[in-house]
Amino acid sequence: MSADATIRDAATQVRLSRRTLFGAAAGVGLAATLAGCGGDDATGSGTGKPLVVHVNDTGSWQRNFNPYAVTQNTGTIGLFYEPLLFFNKLKPNDITPWLATKYSWSEDGKTLRMTIRKDVKWSDGKPLTVDDVVFTYQSMIDTPALNRGGVELSGVKADGDEVVFTFPSTSFTKLWNLAGQIGIVPKHLLSGKKLDTFTNPNPVGTGPFTLSSFSSQVYQVKANPKYWKGKPAVPLVKFPAYTANAVQTGLQTGEIDWASAFVPDLKKIYERNDPEHNKHYFPSEGLNALMVNTAKAPFDSLEVRQAVSLAVDRDRIVKSAERGYVEPAHPSGLPMPADADWVPAKYQDAKFTVDTAKARQLLSKAGYGSKKLKFELLVPSPYTDFVNAAQLMKEDLAKVGIDMTVRGVAIQDWVAKVGKGDFDVTLRGAVAGPTPFYLYRVMLASALTKPIGQQATGNYGRWKDKHTDELLAAYEGTNDEAKQQAAVQGLATVMIEQLPVIPLFGSPSWSLYRTTKYTGWPSEQNPYAMPSPATSPDMAQVLLHLKPVK
Amino acid sequence: MRYLLRRLGFYLITAWAAITINFLIPRLMPGDPVDLMVARMNGQIDPDAIESMKKSFGLTGGSIWSQYWDYLGNLLHGELGRSITFYPTHVSSVIGGALPWTIGLVGIATVISYLIGTSLGVVAAWRRGTWLDSILPTTTFLQAVPYFWVALALVMVFGVSLSWLPVSGAYSLDVTTGFNGAFVGSVLYHAILPAITIVVASIADRVMGMRNVMVTTLGEDYVTMAEAKGLTSRRVMWRYAARNAILPNITSFSLSLGFVVGGSVLTEIVFSYPGVGSVLLKAVENEDFPLMQGIFLIISLAVLAANLLADIAYVALDPRTRQEA
Repeated sequence: MSADATIRDAATQVRLSRRTLFGAAAGVGLAATLAGCGGDDATGSGTGKPLVVHVNDTGSWQRNFNPYAVTQNTGTIGLFYEPLLFFNKLKPNDITPWLATKYSWSEDGKTLRMTIRKDVKWSDGKPLTVDDVVFTYQSMIDTPALNRGGVELSGVKADGDEVVFTFPSTSFTKLWNLAGQIGIVPKHLLSGKKLDTFTNPNPVGTGPFTLSSFSSQVYQVKANPKYWKGKPAVPLVKFPAYTANAVQTGLQTGEIDWASAFVPDLKKIYERNDPEHNKHYFPSEGLNALMVNTAKAPFDSLEVRQAVSLAVDRDRIVKSAERGYVEPAHPSGLPMPADADWVPAKYQDAKFTVDTAKARQLLSKAGYGSKKLKFELLVPSPYTDFVNAAQLMKEDLAKVGIDMTVRGVAIQDWVAKVGKGDFDVTLRGAVAGPTPFYLYRVMLASALTKPIGQQATGNYGRWKDKHTDELLAAYEGTNDEAKQQAAVQGLATVMIEQLPVIPLFGSPSWSLYRTTKYTGWPSEQNPYAMPSPATSPDMAQVLLHLKPVK
Repeated sequence: MRYLLRRLGFYLITAWAAITINFLIPRLMPGDPVDLMVARMNGQIDPDAIESMKKSFGLTGGSIWSQYWDYLGNLLHGELGRSITFYPTHVSSVIGGALPWTIGLVGIATVISYLIGTSLGVVAAWRRGTWLDSILPTTTFLQAVPYFWVALALVMVFGVSLSWLPVSGAYSLDVTTGFNGAFVGSVLYHAILPAITIVVASIADRVMGMRNVMVTTLGEDYVTMAEAKGLTSRRVMWRYAARNAILPNITSFSLSLGFVVGGSVLTEIVFSYPGVGSVLLKAVENEDFPLMQGIFLIISLAVLAANLLADIAYVALDPRTRQEA
């Protein structure tokens, strides 16, 4: 199960990122005050009103709550099945003990011991045991099809109230995939089931909610009275199956209380109907960038990459193509100031600026003085904001004499071409993990790339650099935060000085929320979880923080 | 009889062709579903996991011929495989869940559109030269305006501004599903707006088809004869003229019945209706071969069945088709 949730979220993000997923730029003032009272105390009287939540565009639901399936309904991990630890992606290394109360690594990072919380019950009343945890992970070892997080485990066994994981190699960085993304399942109910094809129609978990009804159009979950943190204050949550267009109507009519949706004109469609309560918070959960194919000309040349970066006017793109919902990226590609400690001090105030003279100068240095530089930008046509951004960049680049053609293709075609390296440059998002390392690894690790013509699993720009790989390895080899930060600062330097990908703007987590029924939503002042309901297990975290409005 | 047997043979061959094309088309799309999923996961998936995903989705290669034989074999056993989008749900259960909604909404709307359209066509032809002639341009105009625009306009007016009618879903979020009054009422209430849009968008064909044939029929001698006999004009209009003019409309009606199971993709998207159309959209977005194949198969078979029914109806209604050439 594991990465299912993330994966699904990541999937949704990339696919819908422009259209539906993220949201939220900080609902200033009031929301801040309200959110302040979030706290850890999740006990509530269960007196609140039902909450209507939109997670992703779908015309209908299927009854699939298999926590191991990539295709599970959002919320399966979090609402029903809980992870051992909760990672707050908005603050690097902010880890909350969840079903595990503590964990410790061996010196070499090949053995992990986790203490399992006592007095946790499954929603059928049976107690959670160490055996359930072992069963959850043993199933992944026995059936590789279940190991969607790609965590290489060599063994898992019980030792008193502890679970001992062993890994074939140093695995500090796998803690997130292993303990933050996988939901613990009940052995007494799932043992003997064919877990790779089981739809698990009646989920029984340790989580704060239980399934109360299901139909193709809406499923509902109700507060679990036996929940180990006390019964949640939200008694009932409804998940209707809305298409992108119905979501906008639902936001307009006030039918939806919390949504992960891209709304073209937030003020008009949503906020002006009730400015006091209709809020949004759109923190960045990744990076949208020009992914350049560094394995071939012209982008194997640093001067060309620098020239392109200097010619592009990010402020204009953000304002017009992205409607001001996001911020231009920091040259390191990391969200600032949240990740300030992970960027070298001398670059903390760095900013992208437009400098056409310098761009021209770099171009002629690269041999494109008299010869015109020509290349093609591949964009998925359904992502209209990307298409708009592409047109703006085309104009910007023309000013320094670069002839960029914009080619819009179907998503399937885009994925196939980018995966195989059959492109010059493309616009693409990359999703961040619990520390900046994950973003850099996805974009820059040579282990993830493949020669042109073969399907890569990451690093589509085919960046191959020994120094980069050494820095990534240095991070992976240590559990010491100071050393990890030093490694990431090195990577940030590579990013800023070598431009292996050209950062453009953040990739927001869309969250539109209404404070009419509940307060305590994540906000800029209190970013305790990803605010978008499409993110698991964060959605459950948010639901646990909500307080009914009296 | 021989006529019907010959038609049956023709349908079998057509069915085979449809099934084969059905197999080929999804495979002509670029990329494959797992790569698509992996790409969307931004490298958070291990290469080992990719292989296991392909295995669990049943995508591990084999030549196209062996895939084709497996596909035919599975079809014979009524096995449509598991959907990739909703993995591990069976394709048959995904379609089974969506079909009743589509047949209910699109089917009933099609019948309504046919009944109203045909009647209007009859009356418009009978009273040609009067104000009724304006029916045709009006309905044609409504059909020519892009469907989603009409639908969205109706949603804005009746749903958002006036709040008379619900604008999304097949029933209210507050009712308990099952056979109870509140649920049935809610389903009907939610069907009004989408059904109206379907009728508005499709009625022009029926009116025009019926009117034009009817006008020709009205010039026939037997109609003049009937009028000369002094029959009521109502009787002449319906029993003599309309009855003979309706044959082409029956064909187009049965064809559209066949397409009902495919759902009205745009309607279902605009109204978030949980029917086959929205499922089909999801399937295409995710390169969900098994699901696409399942839906196309059902559509092809339904269209063929509808054609067969139309043929049978023709044989019953029109003696000329019974004569051997």
